[in-house]
Amino acid sequence: MDRMNENIETQLDGLFAEYRSACPDPDGGVNFMPSLWQKIEARRNESVSVFRRLAQACVLATAALTLAMVILIPRIQTEPVYTATYVDVLDAAHSLDSAQLMDSGDLQ
Amino acid sequence: MLVEFELIERARGGDDGAFSQVVQAYRKRILGTIARLIGRPEDVEDVGQEVFLRLYYSLEQLRTAEVFEPWLYRLTVNAAYDYLRRQKRRQESRMSDLSEQQVMMADAAAGGKQNAEEQRRGKVREQVEALLEHVSEEDRILLTLKEVEGLSLKELEKIYRVNENALKVRLFRARQRVLKAYEAGESAREGVRDSKDTA
Repeated sequence: MDRMNENIETQLDGLFAEYRSACPDPDGGVNFMPSLWQKIEARRNESVSVFRRLAQACVLATAALTLAMVILIPRIQTEPVYTATYVDVLDAAHSLDSAQLMDSGDLQ
Repeated sequence: MLVEFELIERARGGDDGAFSQVVQAYRKRILGTIARLIGRPEDVEDVGQEVFLRLYYSLEQLRTAEVFEPWLYRLTVNAAYDYLRRQKRRQESRMSDLSEQQVMMADAAAGGKQNAEEQRRGKVREQVEALLEHVSEEDRILLTLKEVEGLSLKELEKIYRVNENALKVRLFRARQRVLKAYEAGESAREGVRDSKDTA
């Protein structure tokens, strides 16, 4: 049985060796190199145009953001207008405290 | 190494002339390997160009020129694998699916022009192709690199960046599958021969 297996293994090795010689190394046609360089150039141009498009998109986005900031920020950041004096504010706060104390019944 | 390290360094540095020389030096070997990996001669050139295209754009990632060959083989394996995955080889081949070479062989056989040696080679190719159908695309490539291309386990280790034992296990399993298919094919042939003899 072992000898038979060994025999099969050897036959398979022989078949692989025959396959190696049945498929010789092709050299590629005369157009191999020109066609390769064309593909390299095409890929290079493609990546350049992708980069260019990306750069254009970034510039557009930056411009849009700047415009939005110019318009929106002054609206959001309006200065607070104080209509009451400091004393009025204190008074209002104090009267609120007094009302709470009176409600809780501590002064009675 | 088929070229000097210095030439690879120059190609890495962006010298297109040096890159062309590297391609010229390795072209035949890589195209041969691809031919045996994918088994469709008419697509070998395309896959080969894809390998060198990937090489051109990844050469600057190469750490040192010493690891150039495993690197190139890895690119070859990946391109062949991508091709095989795309193709998803069909079991029953219709005439439109036959490779150019097979069609030429069929034509020649029909015209009675094919010589005996080419016929024998064609049969060997067909037989090995059929045997390799019994394993996955990855195993087909691995097995071909080891058994047909004659790469050592050390070389495969560098190409696949996997330890030797894992490769041994994978190769053993793939070979066993192919061996089983071969054995089955042989006994079927024996059966046909016996029935012819008795008839």
